[in-house]
Amino acid sequence: MNGAPQDAAVPLLVASGLSKHYGGVRAIDEVSLTLPRGTVLGVIGPNGAGKSTLIGLLGGALRPTAGRIQFDGVDVTGEPAAERARRGIGRTYQIPRPFLDMTVRENLLAAQYSLEPFIGRQRALDACDGILERTGLADAANLAARALPLLRRKRLEVARALALKPRLLLLDEVGAGLVDSEVGDLIALIRALAREVQGLIIIEHVLRIVRECCGELLVVNFGRKLAEGHTAAVLASEQVAAVYLGTAHAGAIPSPQAAAATGLAGLVQANAPQAEPAGVPLLELRDLHAGYGLARVLTGIDLVVRTGQAVAILGTNGAGKTTLASVISGLIRPSAGELRIDGVNRVGAGPHQIARLGISQCMEGRRIFAPLSVAENLLLAAGRASKAERSRRLDLVYGVFPVLRERRAQGGTSMSGGQQQMLAIGRALMSRPRLIIFDEISLGLAPVVMDQLYAALAALRAAGLTMLIVEQDVQRALDLADEVHVMEHGRIALSGTATQIRDNPVLRHLYIGTAD
Amino acid sequence: MAADASAQRVAALAAGLLIVFLALALLSGWFSDYALELGGRVLLLMTLAEAWNLLAGYGGLVSLGTASFVGVGAYVLVGVMNRGAGLPLACLAAGLAAAALALLVSRAVFRLRGLYFTVGTLALSEALRLFMINFQPLGGATGLFLSPDVPGLRGLFLLALGLFAAATILMELATRSRFSILLRAVRDDEDAAAQIGVRPFRIKLLAFVFASVLMGLGGALQGLKLGAVEPYGMFGLQWTVNVLAIVIIGGQGLRLAALLGSVFVVTLGELLASYPALHLAITGLILIIVIRFAPQGLAGLTIRLARRLRRSTRA
Repeated sequence: MNGAPQDAAVPLLVASGLSKHYGGVRAIDEVSLTLPRGTVLGVIGPNGAGKSTLIGLLGGALRPTAGRIQFDGVDVTGEPAAERARRGIGRTYQIPRPFLDMTVRENLLAAQYSLEPFIGRQRALDACDGILERTGLADAANLAARALPLLRRKRLEVARALALKPRLLLLDEVGAGLVDSEVGDLIALIRALAREVQGLIIIEHVLRIVRECCGELLVVNFGRKLAEGHTAAVLASEQVAAVYLGTAHAGAIPSPQAAAATGLAGLVQANAPQAEPAGVPLLELRDLHAGYGLARVLTGIDLVVRTGQAVAILGTNGAGKTTLASVISGLIRPSAGELRIDGVNRVGAGPHQIARLGISQCMEGRRIFAPLSVAENLLLAAGRASKAERSRRLDLVYGVFPVLRERRAQGGTSMSGGQQQMLAIGRALMSRPRLIIFDEISLGLAPVVMDQLYAALAALRAAGLTMLIVEQDVQRALDLADEVHVMEHGRIALSGTATQIRDNPVLRHLYIGTAD
Repeated sequence: MAADASAQRVAALAAGLLIVFLALALLSGWFSDYALELGGRVLLLMTLAEAWNLLAGYGGLVSLGTASFVGVGAYVLVGVMNRGAGLPLACLAAGLAAAALALLVSRAVFRLRGLYFTVGTLALSEALRLFMINFQPLGGATGLFLSPDVPGLRGLFLLALGLFAAATILMELATRSRFSILLRAVRDDEDAAAQIGVRPFRIKLLAFVFASVLMGLGGALQGLKLGAVEPYGMFGLQWTVNVLAIVIIGGQGLRLAALLGSVFVVTLGELLASYPALHLAITGLILIIVIRFAPQGLAGLTIRLARRLRRSTRA
């Protein structure tokens, strides 16, 4: 596939005046870019800025409303995705779309065989296994893709794109949800790839990846090019800090939710004393074990969450954090141990029963109901509350996240990632829960959006909401939580107050990945 | 090494199937007329079910257009044989005509995805039926009669056996080969498949043509058996519904589905032959029960039971 004549003077990719309009919405508006051979270009911008649309246009999944795309000197504007892929444009999806009912290896073989239908079987298998080895999926080769958790599905996206032997690789947020040590591995992989392919375009919110991998940077905002240039220079610009990087880099702490906090108590179930006998915690896990089939994921978890507390669970990927959240919300039945709610053991209760006890989950991957509008998604969660009560809660949620009011009639999944996450939180609030489990809510969000979400969470906490936060972002979790537990290999390796943990060298040790 | 093992397994399976087919062919001389008639019907339905399973189970193309291809095959066979051609030529023509129809409508129906594809194929078969009823040059509502003599029951049984053997080989190739990987990729996510260079249209078209040829040949056999074709029967919805019921009851996407489903449906039909109304109601009831409690059908149940048995004997 790489046999086409290549003129080094011709840029690998040239997009000129690219636009994509959906009705009146301009997802991408007059964006031009040139990718010389050997360049790694980063694309950053707030959620909803049009970054994924741009990838869709370049990869051929979307037809541009206007503009032209030249790949290797050939105009490919009218070519469908399959033809562009065969020319050597590989892409990944931000929300992974593996072939769920095929094995991981078959997922790669599909690319191999579509490209070279008559390749020797052994050669194809060797090539696939080599890619799986590099992307850390070798042990999962014979598993159905359906069995992979979100982050490994993201790896599969990369592996599958590599099976295409691409000349240009478009990576859409492959770094989301990784901890530092994993980000380090990914950076090494991207650098190795950059030497093999002729060009790379990376959409990423993890700034370390952007800084360490991308020579050039393009900032997109509201579908338009906001800034462009060398990575260091672009990241240093004030304009970019204002629309994208937010507080972590600019210093100021805007708190758009502070004003809404006063009304929030109405969303948080009153901590009625009769429901809370002294000394009985809201949630208590005793020596809890759980797993999937033969794989034991949780091996003896003890955890207490008292009313009004904010408890954070930290840990690397694969430590069992999401499994823990799923056990608490009743999605996974523990194999041993006790799950006590208000002092009563509820092992074996279904998710709907747990929900009725006032425990609500804000799930990883958001899980918005696509056919329903924003308002319908919210109202659905209010359950059997009276009509007046439901509209009162709806108003309060709109107070916390004003953008949801603006978008209330829109389809739930048509919004940007950050807005969808706000909807997911709003939905959890609508049931007027006593405890919300927030499972990796910052996954794949722009820094500035994370600020907004955590400001909202802080306001909720101030209003007295009990929360269990499962988080990758150590700093934000430590800022918010009273008590912190660090998980490792299915058990809690370290517990303490946020201040104690912050200064504990073991945390750094666990997170950077030298603990083994 | 794994490749060797799987090659050995395929060879063993092929040898086993060959023995079964030859045995059936040789023994068929001693079968009663009833057994031949019933056996032929089961084989024909199995062939159609295999074809439909390729589309729906492996390709995700849930078609309600089975009757169109069965009908075209039957009419072409009768038409060609009435003009003096021999049976082999007529069968070839029937298969080709079905393939041609598939090619002709592919552009239109593949523009539709999911449920729309299903409804599109249904519209196609209904439109064809209405056309055939009203199109006088092809006999209109009365249809056509087959002038040459037809083979006897044993001959028909052998033809059905041969057709099913061909279908089995074709299905083995399509479901074990690299083609099946591409087809399943398109089934699971058409856009993602395109993004890694798979041309969804071609892959779907290939499966559609394969299946249509088998359906056309099945229709040809049915026309030969009846000695006459008319639009209500040959383009009738019952072909579509029967085949769908067989695969659902048998187990969608599983190779055993055709055998188990056909035997089950034909046996049920025979047992309730005197109560046609009851037959329909019971088939419907069974479909509901299967969909609710055994979504992978009888084949899925069998596999699950076999696994449990093996585990308990090992323990």
